Amino acid sequence: MWSDMTKEALHLAARNIRIRVMRPSTLVPSIAISSFLFLAFGYAFGKIASVPGFPAQNYLAFLTPFIVLQAMVFSSGDAGFGMLTDILSGYFDKLLLAPINRFSILFATLFTASLRAIIQVVIIVAIALGMGVSFKTGALGVLVVIWFAVTFSVGWTCLGIIIALRTRSPEVTQSYFVVFFPAVFLTTAFVPAEFLPGWFRVLTRINPVTYILESTRVLVIGGWDWGGLWQGLVVVVIFAGMLMALTTWFFRRATA
Amino acid sequence: MADSKMIVVKGLAKQYPNGVRAVAGIDFAVSSGEFFGFLGPNGAGKSTTIKILSTLIRKTAGQVTVAGFDIDRDALEIRRRIGFAMQEVGLDDLSNALDFLVLQGLLYGLSGDDSRKKAKELLSLVGLSSVAARSVGTFSGGMRRRLDLVAALMHSPTLLFLDEPTTGLDPQSRLAIWDYLRQLNSKGMTVFLTTQLMEEADRLCSRLAIIDNGLLVAEGTPPQLKAQVSGDIVRVLFSSAGEQADMSNIIDYVRQREYVLEVRTIEGGLNVNVRNGGDAVPGLLRLLHDRGISVANLSVLSPSLDDVYLKHTGKQIRESAPTTGPTKSIQPRIRFRRR
Repeated sequence: MWSDMTKEALHLAARNIRIRVMRPSTLVPSIAISSFLFLAFGYAFGKIASVPGFPAQNYLAFLTPFIVLQAMVFSSGDAGFGMLTDILSGYFDKLLLAPINRFSILFATLFTASLRAIIQVVIIVAIALGMGVSFKTGALGVLVVIWFAVTFSVGWTCLGIIIALRTRSPEVTQSYFVVFFPAVFLTTAFVPAEFLPGWFRVLTRINPVTYILESTRVLVIGGWDWGGLWQGLVVVVIFAGMLMALTTWFFRRATA
Repeated sequence: MADSKMIVVKGLAKQYPNGVRAVAGIDFAVSSGEFFGFLGPNGAGKSTTIKILSTLIRKTAGQVTVAGFDIDRDALEIRRRIGFAMQEVGLDDLSNALDFLVLQGLLYGLSGDDSRKKAKELLSLVGLSSVAARSVGTFSGGMRRRLDLVAALMHSPTLLFLDEPTTGLDPQSRLAIWDYLRQLNSKGMTVFLTTQLMEEADRLCSRLAIIDNGLLVAEGTPPQLKAQVSGDIVRVLFSSAGEQADMSNIIDYVRQREYVLEVRTIEGGLNVNVRNGGDAVPGLLRLLHDRGISVANLSVLSPSLDDVYLKHTGKQIRESAPTTGPTKSIQPRIRFRRR
Protein backbone atom coordinates (compact mmCIF):
# COMPACT_ATOMS: atom_id res chain seq x y z
CA MET A 1 0.00 0.00 0.00
CA TRP A 2 2.75 2.44 0.93
CA SER A 3 4.75 1.80 -2.19
CA ASP A 4 1.66 2.34 -4.35
CA MET A 5 0.89 5.53 -2.51
CA THR A 6 4.43 6.78 -2.90
CA LYS A 7 4.30 6.09 -6.60
CA GLU A 8 0.93 7.80 -7.03
CA ALA A 9 1.97 10.76 -4.92
CA LEU A 10 5.15 11.18 -6.93
CA HIS A 11 3.23 11.16 -10.23
CA LEU A 12 0.86 13.77 -8.87
CA ALA A 13 3.69 15.80 -7.35
CA ALA A 14 5.48 15.77 -10.69
CA ARG A 15 2.43 17.40 -12.21
CA ASN A 16 2.23 19.99 -9.40
CA ILE A 17 5.89 20.78 -9.84
CA ARG A 18 5.53 21.07 -13.61
CA ILE A 19 2.56 23.40 -13.55
CA ARG A 20 2.86 25.17 -10.19
CA VAL A 21 6.43 25.21 -8.89
CA MET A 22 8.49 25.78 -12.01
CA ARG A 23 6.89 29.13 -12.51
CA PRO A 24 8.18 32.67 -11.99
CA SER A 25 5.57 33.09 -9.24
CA THR A 26 7.60 30.75 -7.03
CA LEU A 27 10.90 32.48 -7.47
CA VAL A 28 10.06 36.14 -7.88
CA PRO A 29 8.48 36.69 -4.45
CA SER A 30 11.22 34.86 -2.64
CA ILE A 31 13.99 36.64 -4.49
CA ALA A 32 12.46 40.08 -4.94
CA ILE A 33 10.55 40.44 -1.67
CA SER A 34 13.29 38.91 0.45
CA SER A 35 15.95 41.09 -1.10
CA PHE A 36 13.75 44.10 -0.63
CA LEU A 37 13.10 43.29 3.03
CA PHE A 38 16.79 42.73 3.68
CA LEU A 39 17.59 46.10 2.16
CA ALA A 40 14.69 48.08 3.60
CA PHE A 41 14.79 46.77 7.15
CA GLY A 42 18.52 46.28 7.06
CA TYR A 43 19.19 49.93 6.30
CA ALA A 44 16.30 51.29 8.36
CA PHE A 45 17.21 49.44 11.55
CA GLY A 46 20.83 48.53 10.90
CA LYS A 47 22.15 50.81 13.59
CA ILE A 48 20.16 49.01 16.30
CA ALA A 49 22.90 46.40 16.30
CA SER A 50 25.22 48.89 18.01
CA VAL A 51 22.81 49.56 20.87
CA PRO A 52 24.15 48.03 24.09
CA GLY A 53 22.40 44.75 24.87
CA PHE A 54 21.60 43.90 21.22
CA PRO A 55 22.44 40.23 20.75
CA ALA A 56 24.05 40.41 17.29
CA GLN A 57 26.76 42.47 15.66
CA ASN A 58 25.12 42.26 12.24
CA TYR A 59 21.49 43.34 12.12
CA LEU A 60 20.93 41.39 8.89
CA ALA A 61 21.87 38.20 10.70
CA PHE A 62 19.32 39.03 13.38
CA LEU A 63 16.74 39.70 10.65
CA THR A 64 17.38 36.55 8.58
CA PRO A 65 14.98 34.22 10.48
CA PHE A 66 12.18 36.75 9.99
CA ILE A 67 12.85 36.90 6.25
CA VAL A 68 12.79 33.11 6.06
CA LEU A 69 9.58 32.68 8.04
CA GLN A 70 7.68 35.47 6.30
CA ALA A 71 8.45 33.86 2.94
CA MET A 72 7.07 30.57 4.26
CA VAL A 73 3.80 32.14 5.37
CA PHE A 74 3.56 34.33 2.31
CA SER A 75 3.47 31.48 -0.20
CA SER A 76 1.73 28.92 1.97
CA GLY A 77 -1.70 29.68 0.47
CA ASP A 78 -0.62 28.43 -2.94
CA ALA A 79 -1.13 24.75 -2.19
CA GLY A 80 -4.67 25.21 -0.92
CA PHE A 81 -5.42 27.51 -3.80
CA GLY A 82 -4.06 24.98 -6.27
CA MET A 83 -6.22 22.24 -4.79
CA LEU A 84 -9.24 24.51 -4.92
CA THR A 85 -8.55 25.33 -8.57
CA ASP A 86 -8.60 21.59 -9.30
CA ILE A 87 -11.83 21.14 -7.35
CA LEU A 88 -13.58 23.98 -9.17
CA SER A 89 -12.35 22.91 -12.61
CA GLY A 90 -13.59 19.35 -12.06
CA TYR A 91 -10.10 17.91 -12.37
CA PHE A 92 -10.23 16.86 -8.73
CA ASP A 93 -13.18 14.59 -9.56
CA LYS A 94 -11.02 12.91 -12.18
CA LEU A 95 -8.43 12.22 -9.53
CA LEU A 96 -11.14 10.82 -7.24
CA LEU A 97 -12.28 8.51 -10.06
CA ALA A 98 -8.80 7.08 -10.48
CA PRO A 99 -8.00 3.82 -8.66
CA ILE A 100 -5.58 5.51 -6.28
CA ASN A 101 -5.44 6.03 -2.56
CA ARG A 102 -7.03 9.44 -2.15
CA PHE A 103 -4.48 10.49 0.44
CA SER A 104 -1.89 10.36 -2.32
CA ILE A 105 -3.43 13.61 -3.54
CA LEU A 106 -2.87 15.24 -0.15
CA PHE A 107 0.65 13.83 0.17
CA ALA A 108 1.53 15.12 -3.28
CA THR A 109 0.26 18.56 -2.35
CA LEU A 110 2.28 18.69 0.86
CA PHE A 111 5.33 17.26 -0.85
CA THR A 112 5.16 19.93 -3.53
CA ALA A 113 4.68 22.68 -0.96
CA SER A 114 7.73 21.43 0.96
CA LEU A 115 9.82 21.38 -2.16
CA ARG A 116 8.82 24.93 -2.94
CA ALA A 117 9.67 25.93 0.63
CA ILE A 118 13.12 24.37 0.32
CA ILE A 119 13.80 26.24 -2.92
CA GLN A 120 12.75 29.49 -1.31
CA VAL A 121 14.79 29.04 1.86
CA VAL A 122 17.86 28.12 -0.15
CA ILE A 123 17.45 31.30 -2.18
CA ILE A 124 17.02 33.42 0.94
CA VAL A 125 20.02 31.85 2.66
CA ALA A 126 22.06 32.52 -0.48
CA ILE A 127 20.96 36.16 -0.46
CA ALA A 128 21.78 36.44 3.25
CA LEU A 129 25.24 34.94 2.74
CA GLY A 130 25.75 37.29 -0.18
CA MET A 131 24.91 40.23 2.07
CA GLY A 132 27.49 39.21 4.59
CA VAL A 133 25.45 37.20 7.08
CA SER A 134 27.41 34.34 8.58
CA PHE A 135 25.71 31.34 10.17
CA LYS A 136 27.25 30.57 13.56
CA THR A 137 26.31 26.91 13.30
CA GLY A 138 27.77 26.48 9.81
CA ALA A 139 26.45 24.30 7.02
CA LEU A 140 24.74 21.89 9.41
CA GLY A 141 23.02 24.86 11.02
CA VAL A 142 21.74 25.97 7.62
CA LEU A 143 20.21 22.52 7.15
CA VAL A 144 18.45 22.81 10.50
CA VAL A 145 17.20 26.29 9.55
CA ILE A 146 15.80 24.77 6.36
CA TRP A 147 14.15 22.01 8.38
CA PHE A 148 12.55 24.57 10.71
CA ALA A 149 11.32 26.60 7.77
CA VAL A 150 9.87 23.63 5.88
CA THR A 151 8.12 22.21 8.94
CA PHE A 152 6.70 25.65 9.67
CA SER A 153 5.64 25.97 6.02
CA VAL A 154 3.86 22.60 6.10
CA GLY A 155 1.76 23.83 9.03
CA TRP A 156 0.72 26.97 7.15
CA THR A 157 0.11 25.02 3.97
CA CYS A 158 -2.23 22.72 5.89
CA LEU A 159 -4.10 25.73 7.20
CA GLY A 160 -4.50 26.94 3.61
CA ILE A 161 -5.81 23.54 2.51
CA ILE A 162 -8.32 23.42 5.36
CA ILE A 163 -9.59 26.87 4.44
CA ALA A 164 -9.81 25.90 0.78
CA LEU A 165 -11.74 22.72 1.55
CA ARG A 166 -14.06 24.40 4.03
CA THR A 167 -14.87 27.62 2.17
CA ARG A 168 -14.49 26.45 -1.46
CA SER A 169 -13.86 30.11 -2.14
CA PRO A 170 -10.80 31.26 -4.09
CA GLU A 171 -11.15 34.75 -2.64
CA VAL A 172 -11.05 33.61 0.97
CA THR A 173 -8.29 31.11 0.28
CA GLN A 174 -6.16 33.73 -1.37
CA SER A 175 -6.68 36.32 1.30
CA TYR A 176 -6.41 34.16 4.40
CA PHE A 177 -2.78 35.07 4.65
CA VAL A 178 -3.77 38.36 6.31
CA VAL A 179 -3.17 36.32 9.46
CA PHE A 180 0.39 36.68 8.24
CA PHE A 181 0.60 40.15 9.77
CA PRO A 182 -0.12 39.37 13.42
CA ALA A 183 1.65 36.03 13.09
CA VAL A 184 4.96 37.44 11.88
CA PHE A 185 4.90 40.95 13.26
CA LEU A 186 3.77 40.20 16.81
CA THR A 187 7.08 38.50 17.44
CA THR A 188 10.59 39.53 18.26
CA ALA A 189 11.28 39.73 14.52
CA PHE A 190 12.96 43.15 14.57
CA VAL A 191 14.27 43.68 18.08
CA PRO A 192 14.91 41.41 21.05
CA ALA A 193 12.19 41.05 23.68
CA GLU A 194 14.00 43.33 26.14
CA PHE A 195 13.58 46.23 23.72
CA LEU A 196 9.79 45.83 23.58
CA PRO A 197 7.17 47.41 25.84
CA GLY A 198 5.57 45.06 28.37
CA TRP A 199 2.21 44.51 26.66
CA PHE A 200 3.87 43.79 23.34
CA ARG A 201 6.19 41.34 25.04
CA VAL A 202 3.15 39.48 26.42
CA LEU A 203 1.68 39.22 22.91
CA THR A 204 4.92 37.87 21.50
CA ARG A 205 4.99 35.21 24.24
CA ILE A 206 1.45 34.12 23.32
CA ASN A 207 2.34 33.89 19.64
CA PRO A 208 3.84 30.46 18.91
CA VAL A 209 5.71 31.87 15.92
CA THR A 210 7.98 33.76 18.34
CA TYR A 211 9.43 30.51 19.66
CA ILE A 212 10.11 29.16 16.20
CA LEU A 213 11.65 32.47 15.16
CA GLU A 214 13.91 32.65 18.18
CA SER A 215 15.13 29.10 17.87
CA THR A 216 15.94 29.69 14.22
CA ARG A 217 17.76 32.83 15.23
CA VAL A 218 19.83 30.92 17.78
CA LEU A 219 21.15 28.87 14.87
CA VAL A 220 22.12 32.01 12.95
CA ILE A 221 23.60 34.27 15.61
CA GLY A 222 23.99 32.04 18.68
CA GLY A 223 25.32 28.56 18.10
CA TRP A 224 24.39 25.02 19.08
CA ASP A 225 22.59 26.11 22.23
CA TRP A 226 20.00 23.45 23.08
CA GLY A 227 18.50 25.65 25.75
CA GLY A 228 17.53 28.10 23.01
CA LEU A 229 16.57 25.46 20.47
CA TRP A 230 14.23 23.05 22.17
CA GLN A 231 11.28 25.39 22.64
CA GLY A 232 11.04 26.28 18.98
CA LEU A 233 11.52 22.65 18.04
CA VAL A 234 8.65 21.51 20.22
CA VAL A 235 6.39 24.33 19.06
CA VAL A 236 7.02 23.83 15.36
CA VAL A 237 6.48 20.06 15.59
CA ILE A 238 3.22 20.51 17.51
CA PHE A 239 2.10 23.28 15.15
CA ALA A 240 2.74 21.27 11.99
CA GLY A 241 1.58 17.98 13.52
CA MET A 242 -1.75 19.36 14.71
CA LEU A 243 -2.51 21.05 11.41
CA MET A 244 -1.54 17.96 9.44
CA ALA A 245 -3.89 15.85 11.54
CA LEU A 246 -6.69 18.37 11.06
CA THR A 247 -6.05 18.58 7.33
CA THR A 248 -6.15 14.81 7.03
CA TRP A 249 -9.48 14.80 8.81
CA PHE A 250 -10.96 17.55 6.62
CA PHE A 251 -9.57 15.93 3.48
CA ARG A 252 -11.12 12.60 4.39
CA ARG A 253 -14.45 14.33 4.94
CA ALA A 254 -14.20 16.18 1.65
CA THR A 255 -13.41 13.09 -0.40
CA ALA A 256 -15.38 10.33 1.31
CA MET B 1 -19.43 -12.08 -12.02
CA ALA B 2 -22.66 -13.99 -11.60
CA ASP B 3 -23.81 -13.41 -15.18
CA SER B 4 -23.07 -10.99 -17.95
CA LYS B 5 -24.63 -8.05 -16.10
CA MET B 6 -22.35 -5.03 -16.07
CA ILE B 7 -24.54 -2.91 -13.81
CA VAL B 8 -27.19 -4.13 -11.39
CA VAL B 9 -29.13 -1.53 -9.40
CA LYS B 10 -31.73 -2.41 -6.77
CA GLY B 11 -33.72 0.10 -4.77
CA LEU B 12 -31.18 2.85 -5.33
CA ALA B 13 -31.96 6.09 -3.51
CA LYS B 14 -30.05 9.24 -2.83
CA GLN B 15 -31.00 12.03 -0.49
CA TYR B 16 -28.63 14.98 -0.29
CA PRO B 17 -27.78 16.53 3.07
CA ASN B 18 -29.98 19.53 2.17
CA GLY B 19 -32.98 17.19 2.01
CA VAL B 20 -33.31 16.98 -1.76
CA ARG B 21 -34.28 13.45 -2.76
CA ALA B 22 -32.66 13.17 -6.17
CA VAL B 23 -33.19 9.45 -6.68
CA ALA B 24 -36.16 7.80 -5.01
CA GLY B 25 -35.69 4.06 -5.36
CA ILE B 26 -34.88 2.75 -8.83
CA ASP B 27 -34.08 -0.70 -10.22
CA PHE B 28 -32.45 -1.51 -13.50
CA ALA B 29 -29.70 -3.60 -15.02
CA VAL B 30 -27.29 -3.14 -17.89
CA SER B 31 -25.81 -6.15 -19.67
CA SER B 32 -22.22 -6.38 -20.83
CA GLY B 33 -21.80 -4.92 -24.27
CA GLU B 34 -24.95 -2.84 -24.18
CA PHE B 35 -25.19 0.79 -25.21
CA PHE B 36 -27.54 1.98 -22.49
CA GLY B 37 -29.20 5.38 -22.54
CA PHE B 38 -30.43 7.18 -19.46
CA LEU B 39 -32.85 9.97 -20.33
CA GLY B 40 -34.63 12.54 -18.28
CA PRO B 41 -35.35 16.24 -17.88
CA ASN B 42 -33.62 18.76 -15.62
CA GLY B 43 -32.97 17.50 -12.14
CA ALA B 44 -34.60 14.14 -12.81
CA GLY B 45 -31.73 12.27 -11.13
CA LYS B 46 -29.56 11.36 -14.13
CA SER B 47 -26.35 12.96 -12.96
CA THR B 48 -26.84 11.77 -9.41
CA THR B 49 -27.30 8.19 -10.61
CA ILE B 50 -24.25 8.24 -12.85
CA LYS B 51 -22.14 9.75 -10.06
CA ILE B 52 -23.22 7.02 -7.67
CA LEU B 53 -22.50 4.27 -10.20
CA SER B 54 -19.05 5.70 -10.86
CA THR B 55 -18.26 5.89 -7.10
CA LEU B 56 -18.03 9.69 -7.02
CA ILE B 57 -20.82 10.12 -4.49
CA ARG B 58 -22.37 7.74 -1.98
CA LYS B 59 -25.87 6.39 -2.19
CA THR B 60 -28.33 6.66 0.67
CA ALA B 61 -30.01 3.29 0.13
CA GLY B 62 -30.12 0.30 -2.18
CA GLN B 63 -27.72 -2.18 -3.68
CA VAL B 64 -25.41 -1.54 -6.60
CA THR B 65 -22.93 -3.80 -8.31
CA VAL B 66 -20.77 -2.58 -11.16
CA ALA B 67 -18.63 -4.96 -13.21
CA GLY B 68 -19.46 -7.61 -10.63
CA PHE B 69 -18.20 -5.61 -7.65
CA ASP B 70 -20.20 -4.20 -4.78
CA ILE B 71 -20.03 -0.43 -4.82
CA ASP B 72 -19.64 -0.10 -1.06
CA ARG B 73 -16.97 -2.74 -0.57
CA ASP B 74 -14.95 -2.72 -3.78
CA ALA B 75 -15.03 0.85 -5.05
CA LEU B 76 -11.35 0.66 -5.97
CA GLU B 77 -11.88 -2.42 -8.18
CA ILE B 78 -14.75 -0.63 -9.88
CA ARG B 79 -12.62 2.46 -10.49
CA ARG B 80 -10.00 0.35 -12.24
CA ARG B 81 -12.59 -0.84 -14.74
CA ILE B 82 -14.63 2.25 -15.53
CA GLY B 83 -14.07 5.44 -17.44
CA PHE B 84 -16.20 8.54 -16.93
CA ALA B 85 -16.46 11.53 -19.23
CA MET B 86 -18.26 14.07 -17.11
CA GLN B 87 -20.73 16.73 -18.01
CA GLU B 88 -18.54 19.30 -16.28
CA VAL B 89 -15.44 18.60 -18.30
CA GLY B 90 -12.71 18.19 -15.70
CA LEU B 91 -9.48 19.10 -17.39
CA ASP B 92 -6.21 20.34 -16.08
CA ASP B 93 -5.96 23.68 -17.85
CA LEU B 94 -2.36 24.32 -16.90
CA SER B 95 -0.95 21.09 -18.33
CA ASN B 96 -0.47 20.38 -21.97
CA ALA B 97 -2.71 17.75 -23.55
CA LEU B 98 -0.08 15.04 -23.74
CA ASP B 99 1.13 15.43 -20.15
CA PHE B 100 -2.45 15.46 -18.98
CA LEU B 101 -3.22 12.14 -20.65
CA VAL B 102 0.07 10.53 -19.65
CA LEU B 103 -0.56 11.31 -15.97
CA GLN B 104 -4.05 9.89 -16.36
CA GLY B 105 -2.52 6.64 -17.61
CA LEU B 106 0.08 6.54 -14.84
CA LEU B 107 -2.63 6.90 -12.19
CA TYR B 108 -4.33 3.85 -13.66
CA GLY B 109 -1.14 1.83 -13.35
CA LEU B 110 0.20 2.06 -16.90
CA SER B 111 3.96 2.30 -17.26
CA GLY B 112 5.41 5.59 -18.45
CA ASP B 113 6.12 4.22 -21.93
CA ASP B 114 2.74 2.54 -22.32
CA SER B 115 0.96 5.63 -21.13
CA ARG B 116 2.83 7.86 -23.54
CA LYS B 117 2.16 5.51 -26.43
CA LYS B 118 -1.53 5.22 -25.62
CA ALA B 119 -1.87 8.97 -25.17
CA LYS B 120 -0.38 9.68 -28.58
CA GLU B 121 -2.58 7.04 -30.17
CA LEU B 122 -5.74 8.50 -28.65
CA LEU B 123 -4.78 12.08 -29.45
CA SER B 124 -4.36 11.22 -33.10
CA LEU B 125 -7.62 9.27 -33.05
CA VAL B 126 -9.59 12.38 -32.06
CA GLY B 127 -7.53 14.71 -34.22
CA LEU B 128 -5.62 16.46 -31.44
CA SER B 129 -2.08 15.35 -32.30
CA SER B 130 -1.11 18.75 -33.62
CA VAL B 131 -2.04 20.44 -30.34
CA ALA B 132 -0.60 17.78 -28.02
CA ALA B 133 1.98 20.19 -26.65
CA ARG B 134 -0.43 23.07 -26.20
CA SER B 135 -1.82 23.88 -22.78
CA VAL B 136 -5.33 22.58 -22.33
CA GLY B 137 -6.58 25.98 -21.18
CA THR B 138 -6.31 27.25 -24.76
CA PHE B 139 -8.59 24.53 -26.21
CA SER B 140 -12.01 25.21 -27.73
CA GLY B 141 -15.14 23.58 -26.37
CA GLY B 142 -15.14 20.80 -28.93
CA MET B 143 -11.45 20.04 -28.38
CA ARG B 144 -11.99 19.92 -24.62
CA ARG B 145 -14.80 17.40 -25.02
CA ARG B 146 -12.72 15.18 -27.22
CA LEU B 147 -9.76 15.35 -24.86
CA ASP B 148 -11.99 14.63 -21.89
CA LEU B 149 -13.46 11.65 -23.68
CA VAL B 150 -10.11 10.08 -24.51
CA ALA B 151 -8.89 10.77 -20.96
CA ALA B 152 -11.60 8.36 -19.85
CA LEU B 153 -10.25 5.77 -22.30
CA MET B 154 -6.56 5.80 -21.35
CA HIS B 155 -6.86 2.62 -19.30
CA SER B 156 -9.18 0.83 -21.78
CA PRO B 157 -12.14 0.56 -19.39
CA THR B 158 -14.70 -2.19 -19.81
CA LEU B 159 -17.49 0.21 -18.89
CA LEU B 160 -17.69 3.80 -20.04
CA PHE B 161 -19.93 6.40 -18.37
CA LEU B 162 -20.85 9.43 -20.41
CA ASP B 163 -22.77 12.33 -18.92
CA GLU B 164 -24.25 14.34 -21.81
CA PRO B 165 -21.13 13.89 -23.91
CA THR B 166 -22.17 16.13 -26.80
CA THR B 167 -24.11 18.89 -25.05
CA GLY B 168 -23.00 22.22 -26.44
CA LEU B 169 -21.11 20.79 -29.41
CA ASP B 170 -21.51 21.78 -33.02
CA PRO B 171 -23.19 19.15 -35.24
CA GLN B 172 -19.94 18.13 -36.89
CA SER B 173 -18.13 17.40 -33.62
CA ARG B 174 -21.22 15.64 -32.39
CA LEU B 175 -21.32 13.30 -35.37
CA ALA B 176 -17.62 12.55 -34.96
CA ILE B 177 -18.09 11.63 -31.31
CA TRP B 178 -21.14 9.50 -32.07
CA ASP B 179 -19.15 7.64 -34.67
CA TYR B 180 -16.35 6.99 -32.25
CA LEU B 181 -18.68 5.88 -29.46
CA ARG B 182 -20.32 3.39 -31.79
CA GLN B 183 -16.91 1.98 -32.67
CA LEU B 184 -15.98 1.56 -29.02
CA ASN B 185 -19.27 -0.19 -28.32
CA SER B 186 -18.88 -2.52 -31.29
CA LYS B 187 -15.50 -3.56 -29.90
CA GLY B 188 -17.23 -4.72 -26.74
CA MET B 189 -17.14 -1.71 -24.42
CA THR B 190 -20.31 -1.30 -22.40
CA VAL B 191 -21.54 2.29 -22.54
CA PHE B 192 -23.83 4.05 -20.08
CA LEU B 193 -24.94 7.38 -21.48
CA THR B 194 -27.10 10.15 -20.11
CA THR B 195 -28.51 12.59 -22.58
CA GLN B 196 -31.29 15.02 -23.31
CA LEU B 197 -30.86 14.70 -27.03
CA MET B 198 -33.46 12.26 -28.29
CA GLU B 199 -31.64 11.94 -31.57
CA GLU B 200 -28.50 10.92 -29.70
CA ALA B 201 -30.37 8.27 -27.75
CA ASP B 202 -32.16 7.01 -30.84
CA ARG B 203 -29.03 6.70 -32.93
CA LEU B 204 -26.73 5.17 -30.34
CA CYS B 205 -28.59 3.30 -27.66
CA SER B 206 -29.68 -0.31 -27.82
CA ARG B 207 -31.78 0.17 -24.71
CA LEU B 208 -33.10 3.16 -22.79
CA ALA B 209 -34.51 4.11 -19.44
CA ILE B 210 -36.34 7.35 -18.76
CA ILE B 211 -36.08 8.86 -15.30
CA ASP B 212 -38.29 11.62 -13.95
CA ASN B 213 -38.49 13.00 -10.42
CA GLY B 214 -36.07 10.36 -9.23
CA LEU B 215 -38.11 7.42 -10.50
CA LEU B 216 -37.86 5.28 -13.62
CA VAL B 217 -40.92 5.87 -15.77
CA ALA B 218 -40.05 3.76 -18.81
CA GLU B 219 -37.50 1.23 -19.95
CA GLY B 220 -36.97 -0.68 -23.17
CA THR B 221 -35.45 -0.65 -26.64
CA PRO B 222 -36.21 2.44 -28.75
CA PRO B 223 -38.79 0.53 -30.90
CA GLN B 224 -40.49 -0.83 -27.76
CA LEU B 225 -40.72 2.62 -26.27
CA LYS B 226 -42.02 4.16 -29.47
CA ALA B 227 -44.70 1.50 -29.60
CA GLN B 228 -45.96 2.74 -26.24
CA VAL B 229 -47.02 6.01 -27.78
CA SER B 230 -50.36 5.27 -29.35
CA GLY B 231 -51.55 6.83 -32.58
CA ASP B 232 -49.67 8.95 -35.08
CA ILE B 233 -47.95 12.27 -35.15
CA VAL B 234 -49.23 14.90 -37.56
CA ARG B 235 -46.53 17.45 -38.23
CA VAL B 236 -47.82 20.78 -39.42
CA LEU B 237 -45.45 23.46 -40.67
CA PHE B 238 -46.81 27.00 -41.10
CA SER B 239 -46.13 29.04 -44.17
CA SER B 240 -44.97 32.22 -42.47
CA ALA B 241 -43.77 33.22 -39.06
CA GLY B 242 -46.02 36.29 -38.94
CA GLU B 243 -49.08 34.19 -38.30
CA GLN B 244 -47.89 32.70 -35.07
CA ALA B 245 -48.94 35.61 -32.88
CA ASP B 246 -51.55 33.79 -30.79
CA MET B 247 -49.94 30.36 -30.85
CA SER B 248 -50.92 29.47 -27.31
CA ASN B 249 -54.60 30.01 -28.15
CA ILE B 250 -54.31 27.78 -31.15
CA ILE B 251 -52.51 25.06 -29.21
CA ASP B 252 -55.24 25.08 -26.58
CA TYR B 253 -57.89 25.00 -29.24
CA VAL B 254 -56.28 22.09 -31.09
CA ARG B 255 -55.74 20.22 -27.87
CA GLN B 256 -59.47 20.30 -27.13
CA ARG B 257 -60.39 18.29 -30.22
CA GLU B 258 -61.49 14.80 -29.23
CA TYR B 259 -59.19 13.10 -31.76
CA VAL B 260 -56.10 14.91 -30.41
CA LEU B 261 -54.02 13.24 -27.70
CA GLU B 262 -51.24 15.80 -27.28
CA VAL B 263 -49.82 18.89 -28.95
CA ARG B 264 -46.40 20.41 -28.84
CA THR B 265 -44.67 23.17 -30.69
CA ILE B 266 -41.73 22.51 -32.94
CA GLU B 267 -39.58 24.68 -35.16
CA GLY B 268 -42.06 26.63 -37.30
CA GLY B 269 -45.12 24.57 -36.52
CA LEU B 270 -46.81 21.91 -34.40
CA ASN B 271 -46.52 18.22 -33.69
CA VAL B 272 -49.99 16.87 -33.01
CA ASN B 273 -50.31 13.40 -31.53
CA VAL B 274 -53.63 11.99 -32.79
CA ARG B 275 -55.41 8.67 -32.54
CA ASN B 276 -55.35 8.10 -36.29
CA GLY B 277 -53.38 10.24 -38.71
CA GLY B 278 -55.53 9.73 -41.80
CA ASP B 279 -58.76 10.54 -39.97
CA ALA B 280 -57.40 13.60 -38.21
CA VAL B 281 -55.84 15.44 -41.12
CA PRO B 282 -59.02 16.89 -42.76
CA GLY B 283 -60.37 18.19 -39.47
CA LEU B 284 -57.05 19.61 -38.43
CA LEU B 285 -56.56 21.40 -41.73
CA ARG B 286 -60.03 22.92 -41.62
CA LEU B 287 -59.54 24.04 -38.06
CA LEU B 288 -56.25 25.79 -38.82
CA HIS B 289 -57.70 27.36 -41.95
CA ASP B 290 -60.63 28.74 -39.95
CA ARG B 291 -58.20 30.31 -37.56
CA GLY B 292 -56.44 32.05 -40.44
CA ILE B 293 -53.31 29.97 -40.43
CA SER B 294 -51.93 28.83 -43.74
CA VAL B 295 -50.20 25.50 -43.75
CA ALA B 296 -47.10 25.06 -45.85
CA ASN B 297 -46.49 21.41 -45.22
CA LEU B 298 -48.22 18.56 -43.44
CA SER B 299 -47.01 15.03 -42.85
CA VAL B 300 -48.15 12.03 -40.87
CA LEU B 301 -45.33 10.38 -38.94
CA SER B 302 -44.84 7.49 -36.55
CA PRO B 303 -43.96 8.48 -33.00
CA SER B 304 -40.34 9.40 -32.30
CA LEU B 305 -38.45 9.19 -29.05
CA ASP B 306 -39.34 12.85 -28.48
CA ASP B 307 -42.95 11.78 -28.27
CA VAL B 308 -42.08 8.94 -25.89
CA TYR B 309 -40.20 11.39 -23.73
CA LEU B 310 -43.09 13.83 -23.73
CA LYS B 311 -45.57 11.13 -22.84
CA HIS B 312 -43.57 9.94 -19.85
CA THR B 313 -42.19 13.15 -18.44
CA GLY B 314 -44.89 15.56 -19.54
CA LYS B 315 -42.12 17.88 -20.57
CA GLN B 316 -41.66 19.29 -24.00
CA ILE B 317 -38.21 19.30 -25.41
CA ARG B 318 -38.69 22.84 -26.65
CA GLU B 319 -40.44 24.93 -24.09
CA SER B 320 -41.32 27.96 -26.19
CA ALA B 321 -42.76 28.62 -29.61
CA PRO B 322 -40.18 29.65 -32.16
CA THR B 323 -41.51 33.20 -32.24
CA THR B 324 -39.06 34.22 -29.54
CA GLY B 325 -35.57 34.86 -30.72
CA PRO B 326 -33.63 33.48 -33.65
CA THR B 327 -34.29 29.90 -34.59
CA LYS B 328 -30.88 28.40 -35.01
CA SER B 329 -31.01 24.98 -33.49
CA ILE B 330 -32.62 22.21 -35.46
CA GLN B 331 -32.18 19.72 -32.68
CA PRO B 332 -34.75 20.05 -29.95
CA ARG B 333 -33.08 20.04 -26.59
CA ILE B 334 -33.10 21.43 -23.15
CA ARG B 335 -29.81 22.63 -21.83
CA PHE B 336 -29.00 22.59 -18.21
CA ARG B 337 -26.18 22.33 -15.77
CA ARG B 338 -26.57 20.78 -12.43
CA ARG B 339 -24.18 19.34 -9.91
